[in-house]
Amino acid sequence: MDDLLKVSDLRASIDGKEILRGINLTVKPGEVHAIMGPNGSGKSTFSGVLAGDPRFTVTGGTATLGGVDLLGLSPEDRSHEGLFLSFQYPVEIPGVTMVNFMRAAVNAKRKYLGQDPMSAAEFLKMMRQKRAVVELDNKLASRSVNEGFSGGEKKRNEIFQMAVLEPRLSILDETDSGLDIDALRIVAGGVNKLRTDRNATIVITHYQRLLDYIKPDFVHILYKGRIVYSGGPELALELEEKGYDWIKQQVEEQ
Amino acid sequence: MSAAEAFGQYLELCRARRERSSLRGEAVRMLNDEAFRALPAAIEAYRGKSLDCLASCRPDVLFAPDYGVNIDALAMYADVAASFRCGIPQLQSNLVVVANDCIHIPEHLAGGTDGIEVYRLSEIPASLTDEVADVLSRTADSRNVAMLLNGLLLNDGIYVRITGTPERPLQIVNIFRSDMPMLTARRIIVHGLSGCHGQVLLCDHSQSPEVNHLNSQVADIVLERDAHLELYDIEESCASTHRVFNCNTVQEEASSFNVNTNFLSGGTSSNTWHIDTVGPRTETHLAGLAIASQDQTVDNRVILRHSSTYALSRQLFKYALYDNAHGGFGGRIIVEEGAEYTDAAQTDRNIIVGDTAHMEASPQLEIYCDEVKCSHGATTGQLDERALFYMQTRGIPLDTARRMLTQAFMADVVEQVRCEVLRQRLHILVEKRLSGAPGSCEKCAGACHGQTSNE
Amino acid sequence: MAQPDKAQCRAGGEQPDENRAVIDGATTGEYKYGFVSEIETDIIPAGLNEDIIRLISEKKGEPEWLLDFRLKAFRHWLTLEPPTWAHLTIPPIDFQALSYYAAPKAKEGPKSLDEVDPALLDTFNRLGIPLEEQKQLSGMAVDAVLDSVSVRTTHRERLAEMGIIFCSFSEAVKEYPDLVRKYLGKVVSYRDNFYAALNSAVFSDGSFVYIPKGVRCPMELSTYFRINAAGTGQFERTLIVADDDAYVSYLEGCTAPMRDENQLHAAIVEIIVEDRAEVKYSTVQNWYAGDSQGRGGVYNFVTKRGLCRGDYSKLSWTQVETGSAITWKYPSCVLAGEGSTGEFYSVAVTNNLQQADTGTKMVHIGSNTRSTIVSKGISAGHSQNSYRGLVKVAKNAVNVRNYTQCDSLLLSSTCGAHTFPVMEIDNNTAVVEHEATTSKISEDQIFYCNQRGIPTEEAIALIVNGYAKEVMNKLPMEFAVEAQKLLEITLEGSVG
Repeated sequence: MDDLLKVSDLRASIDGKEILRGINLTVKPGEVHAIMGPNGSGKSTFSGVLAGDPRFTVTGGTATLGGVDLLGLSPEDRSHEGLFLSFQYPVEIPGVTMVNFMRAAVNAKRKYLGQDPMSAAEFLKMMRQKRAVVELDNKLASRSVNEGFSGGEKKRNEIFQMAVLEPRLSILDETDSGLDIDALRIVAGGVNKLRTDRNATIVITHYQRLLDYIKPDFVHILYKGRIVYSGGPELALELEEKGYDWIKQQVEEQ
Repeated sequence: MSAAEAFGQYLELCRARRERSSLRGEAVRMLNDEAFRALPAAIEAYRGKSLDCLASCRPDVLFAPDYGVNIDALAMYADVAASFRCGIPQLQSNLVVVANDCIHIPEHLAGGTDGIEVYRLSEIPASLTDEVADVLSRTADSRNVAMLLNGLLLNDGIYVRITGTPERPLQIVNIFRSDMPMLTARRIIVHGLSGCHGQVLLCDHSQSPEVNHLNSQVADIVLERDAHLELYDIEESCASTHRVFNCNTVQEEASSFNVNTNFLSGGTSSNTWHIDTVGPRTETHLAGLAIASQDQTVDNRVILRHSSTYALSRQLFKYALYDNAHGGFGGRIIVEEGAEYTDAAQTDRNIIVGDTAHMEASPQLEIYCDEVKCSHGATTGQLDERALFYMQTRGIPLDTARRMLTQAFMADVVEQVRCEVLRQRLHILVEKRLSGAPGSCEKCAGACHGQTSNE
Repeated sequence: MAQPDKAQCRAGGEQPDENRAVIDGATTGEYKYGFVSEIETDIIPAGLNEDIIRLISEKKGEPEWLLDFRLKAFRHWLTLEPPTWAHLTIPPIDFQALSYYAAPKAKEGPKSLDEVDPALLDTFNRLGIPLEEQKQLSGMAVDAVLDSVSVRTTHRERLAEMGIIFCSFSEAVKEYPDLVRKYLGKVVSYRDNFYAALNSAVFSDGSFVYIPKGVRCPMELSTYFRINAAGTGQFERTLIVADDDAYVSYLEGCTAPMRDENQLHAAIVEIIVEDRAEVKYSTVQNWYAGDSQGRGGVYNFVTKRGLCRGDYSKLSWTQVETGSAITWKYPSCVLAGEGSTGEFYSVAVTNNLQQADTGTKMVHIGSNTRSTIVSKGISAGHSQNSYRGLVKVAKNAVNVRNYTQCDSLLLSSTCGAHTFPVMEIDNNTAVVEHEATTSKISEDQIFYCNQRGIPTEEAIALIVNGYAKEVMNKLPMEFAVEAQKLLEITLEGSVG
């Protein structure tokens, strides 16, 4: 099958400091990839660069999604092409209600795809359906985006948005951080429900814990801006057992 | 032109009229007399620089052009008034139309039904003459040149007497229409009697965008014990219409005063809100928003003086400045000695978007009493970049994201509007304005060109 | 409105009488620097005209260009009126009734300590100023200015080895005329304001500091000012130049004797900060404030301004203002260099009938410039205490950031605390934030302290010190201790 995401020798920096030093990664439809690594290894930078975070400067390499050059697109067009980023720290937007926010997002995508805007009734029906995926409270919809949400609610809200936007590639950036076990189950359950053989998921995480719920096909270890190891699910377990110092040692030895 | 010349030209103009004594109504004559008495000294003492407002919003600058004045009080055609409605769907209001400076009051309002009486200043019943004089004496400011000029040039005004709890808000629609540059002097005197609950909505429009217009407007407001007034002000005129607005208010014990002022379009708008709370346990809420583009200029000065105990006041002003728009905000809170347990807070937030936009903010506290809680905060900056990026990652185009965030930024000012219908309407007006709609009256699809919705 | 709450608030607000007594009784902190030194003084006749200016210049043996500068300033001064915009009530000052030059009589300039008038040494010792080298605090170079004349500068030799110039202004004029001429009046022009013009015409002495390229001054440089003679004004001038990559921390302290008449102090401080250089300027101002009836005290009308001319330069003002009958003072930063930083940390305490109108101006001209303003006003008695500030962002200054916080603490029901900030923004990338609060010491806080066994007076000192801590922490160690004591003395028993 064709590659969905293809990243070659991707390099990026922030404030002149190089964080990504040549990343190579290929993701095919239907796959789940986990990217693990110690703090500061560049995990969040990688997801930010793919989504088009203006704080980072791409200094080299390429990234395509379904054959389309991602790096040349605005963040919103990357979204329209089917890239979704679940933020580690979802942004609070006071005064903008979830309903208005999602309607703007959905209709912008439809416009991009040359479709007519959704009617209000259709839209609200869809919101209702998608809310069920992550057991999101009805009341959250009328509140401002992420404002006053608990940590768990914020992450569920991210997955809810993912359900609405139906991306081809979802990147979950530390989605497990700050979640208790119940919330983790709900969030992971939502992600699994949304999996098909046409979309793919990249799970970025520090711990093995989330991977008990979202089973990866491949595990990559990111260290100092490069993927230093790739393997199957067993790599995550080995890492859990031996800790990141083991990786550091291995890399230093080479 | 010097300040003395700018103001002096009107003094000369009105002298002849004074000799003819053609003014109608005792209240109008009283204001005129006061102007002649106090103006020379006020002009002499006038120091534009000491006003703190934006330089382009000083009275001497705004009054300087040679405007025509309706010195002989020629009536505007009544059908002009009838042909305009400030359309706010579902708003059932008592509508007063002011065409230039000619006032059209529906007959039923003079009768005193529904807790409200509205009179022309030139036709005050004899039984109320002393009352009007008393209100005016309490709000007068013999050093305020702009207010005195208004009294000097005034042909007529509106006296609103709120006696109970009117079902409908009083809506005063100011419309300008003229073939030549004109200054119109408009005055609204609101007397809130003990225990009343009133709503007054002021709408400013222009139908002659090609003609320069100065709207000299004064509101004199006295709120008696336990009187409650909501004042809404929507400015939706055009680049050639400028305004100098002074709102002087005196609040007695346990009264409340809620102001919501909204600049959506216009030329230069210079506003001064002077509020004295003289009785204990007053409540004062001032909220204002300004969305200004091109060369539009908005200045709001607040002088809020608390001189009795347990005063509560809140101010919230927000500006979004595009293109070459200029914004000024000065919010002075004065807590006099003896005004214990005053709780006063003020917030000013501004977004600068335009390359040559300019903002001056001076929130001020003057406190002469220790048992108080006072604070102010002022920020000028841009929209939250993280929020913009977050919205983009969800597929929302950057300009839509900006508009949504700006609208959200303004939302809490609009939320201060207590009249539900008006609040909804204002949300829509803000949204329309931010979507790049009108910017001035002539292209406006809503407001005064719209279909009649009231009757 | 929740009425019951307010009723409670009133009940809680009624002050136990003994607290009130402690508070009122304490307003009488004694001014321990109020002695008069019996030193023979050379005072020129009162009055101000061109002849007087020529006389001052002649007494100081000045070159022609400096006399010209003075005369130009004087002629300009004649066209000016004293500023009236501040929130101050300033009694009319008869500028012709003052003497513009007073100097301790000495044979020549003292060459060693032995030649210094013992009464003079005693004066500075009583002030706690380490003029005698052997008694000095470790690592501090001091220039002491009595009335109009710099009396003695310590540590000069050691500094000279590093190329640092630290001397009296008069000496600088003689020994480094080119440097002085290059920088004099460049940051504060004699046209700047009424008092700056006056100072430029009649300034008598002051300090001059030059830190050469790449040198970090190894010790704190310090000047102590004291007005001693009666019927005089003090008009000193300080000029500090930090060349590329240089660093200096400069301290200034001031006292004056208790006198019934008012004394005028109109100083100028000019600072120039070049590329990547940093200057810290700290002031502990303790001029005589007048008595509790408002008799006497110093009028402190000072123009202080620094120009961050160099890229990534930094200027930091820290001031603890406890003295003076009237203070009119706005230490400012002109941030011209790309990425330069300005800071202003201030504690201003007023008691009795003192008046202070003080604050800062941050003028952002360069891109990526940053400024921080933290102002803590404390008013007691019948005093009036105002913060006045300007943050200006010029049209071409991109990415400017400013944060301002001004807090006022009211310690009596008869004092005033005011805040007059102005923000003028002409660039759409600037972020300017201002916050201000006004509060009094809460009964809860005092009661909490009382319950833990801390007497009310101590509790108040504790709370005030905590309130001012953010600023005090910016002072060099030796000064911080002194400043804290001053704060306590100024507020002794003044709390309500």
